[in-house]
Amino acid sequence: MKAVTIDPITRLEGHGKISVFLDSDGNVDNAYLQIPELRGFERFCQGRRAEDMPQITSRICGVCPVAHHFASTKALDACFHVEPPSAAKKLRELMYMGYVIYDHILHFYFLGGPDFVVGPDAPASQHNILGVIDKAGLDVGREVIKHRAYGQRITAILGGKATHPVCGLPGGVSKGLAKEEVQEIKDMVRSCVDFAKFSLKLFDDVVLKNRDYVDMIKSDPYNLETYNMGLVDAHNKVNFYDGIVRVTDQNAEETLRFSGKDYTDYISEHVEPWSYMKFPYLKKIGWRGLKDGKTSGVYRVGPLGRLNAADGMATSLADKEYKRFYETLGGKPVNSTLAYHWARLIELLYAAERATELINDPDITSKHIRNPVGEPGEGVGVVEAARGTLIHHYEVDKNGLIEKANLIVATTNNAGAITMSVRDAARGMIKKGVVNNGILNRIEMAFRAYDPCFACATHTLPGGMPLELNIYDKNKKIYKTIKNF
Amino acid sequence: MRTIILGIGNPLLGDDGVGIRVAKELRKHVKDPDVEVDETTTGGINLLDQIIGFDKAILVDTIKDKSMRNGEIKRLTLGDLSSYHSFNPHDVGLPEACKLAKRLGETRIPHDITIFGIAVNKMQYEFWEGLSEEISKTVPKTVDMIMSELNHHKNQVEEI
Repeated sequence: MKAVTIDPITRLEGHGKISVFLDSDGNVDNAYLQIPELRGFERFCQGRRAEDMPQITSRICGVCPVAHHFASTKALDACFHVEPPSAAKKLRELMYMGYVIYDHILHFYFLGGPDFVVGPDAPASQHNILGVIDKAGLDVGREVIKHRAYGQRITAILGGKATHPVCGLPGGVSKGLAKEEVQEIKDMVRSCVDFAKFSLKLFDDVVLKNRDYVDMIKSDPYNLETYNMGLVDAHNKVNFYDGIVRVTDQNAEETLRFSGKDYTDYISEHVEPWSYMKFPYLKKIGWRGLKDGKTSGVYRVGPLGRLNAADGMATSLADKEYKRFYETLGGKPVNSTLAYHWARLIELLYAAERATELINDPDITSKHIRNPVGEPGEGVGVVEAARGTLIHHYEVDKNGLIEKANLIVATTNNAGAITMSVRDAARGMIKKGVVNNGILNRIEMAFRAYDPCFACATHTLPGGMPLELNIYDKNKKIYKTIKNF
Repeated sequence: MRTIILGIGNPLLGDDGVGIRVAKELRKHVKDPDVEVDETTTGGINLLDQIIGFDKAILVDTIKDKSMRNGEIKRLTLGDLSSYHSFNPHDVGLPEACKLAKRLGETRIPHDITIFGIAVNKMQYEFWEGLSEEISKTVPKTVDMIMSELNHHKNQVEEI
């Protein structure tokens, strides 16, 4: 068996490694994605003051600080048996929409966009945001930067600091909104709605009007028929900040519906010897290995998982786009991994519209933003991080100190699906040992769509992100090396 | 000349937090009102947001380079790095962010971006606070290097 190792992964510069094993004919026998996980978090948290958790967890990762902050704050609401006032919930959700806006913009234009706007086979020097603005124009580049900054600004106004929010407290938030801040946010979110519409139009023009891209989106190697999971509101519409966890099956029918606090009754984690990552699966369906289909408990989260797990979007423009999405791609559920990008833009529009609703709600300037806490205990907080369902679970002792902490993060929820997508893309693209840079990028596209978030702490110098492909002969000697730098 | 010194790292991941520790230590020594000292756990565009508007930026961060021994400190400029990745994998590197900003007409990027890279050879995947013995020794050394960098610049300015 020949081994092909791709390490590291460009633009997701954690330390992930894809190993592709070829059979004697040079076709793909199997492929694995390995991601080093951060370890020891539970032990690290033991004995700490519960109210410090929203600050600690927002530092776990520089990617989703706001998502961790609020999953944690909501877990504390539950631990301390307190329901925040309505204005506090709205302030949290508004800030959350700011985070979704900047995170989704960043992913589409910087990480996913190059594959479509510049093209999957473009050389590495062009395959980035600079290549995107070369194609789309400087004005588009300015709009991207401006609206991403608006998202950051909204989180900074509400959260104290954009990168490490300090506003979430059990029972509410620490800071309300001033009148002049309301006007500033109104102006920004109005502009974000227009920018989201523009982005969807761009996706239409560049991707949907290009037959090659549409064929690629619908092609087998990028297709995966797993269960789908996401938070929904009382009308089964997508909600990022709060709701019920809903799981739908391969026929888009509801399989499970549960409250976050009961997650351990529904989700188990499988361990594989070759990976630090755990593979969550639906307990009631069971673990059948890295397989899709109705008998396998693997599920997907994130933009596509959320859209598939819901019945629509709660805002009017986004809901229209939701319907068009399913009409265009052949009904529900959509199982194409590359459709994550389109789903992400529909969510961007939703987030901007929802932020508009919230900032126009008179309750948003209420001074009643915190309720007193009760006795400490156990609690679970669930939110939809930009890249999928995020669960925080704490047990707090009578002195308010953490006894136990457990987290299931979005990329872990997607671990099984991401691994399968990489394997299937490799199988579909590598035939008879023929591998080139374009093929490598098409394999990367399979996991880039999920917007996975890898542990990443130390930095590389000189910091180039070489993508190296080593092909070994049957004696395990390298006979060919391909680099994309 | 307005200067920002930014300690970068994640203090929850052991030695990765050394940049933050250096920043805390520097606050005791920096008296010049034109020099600001701050800390961050982010990278790429967010990092650019934090240094924009200053004439000079000094970044203190951990780096990984096979040719360096653990705890070795290297003074680098942004040009030495083809890419510079910080804690955030969901972002571009700082050189790419700077190139993008320049292309879009941003004029407030610091004309001098200096990086003090502290080599940490062991990947920090375990949650813990504090620094290993070898890396904690780099803190006073890095502080000295940055202080003489600041004084050197000050003297240069006075000479002009």
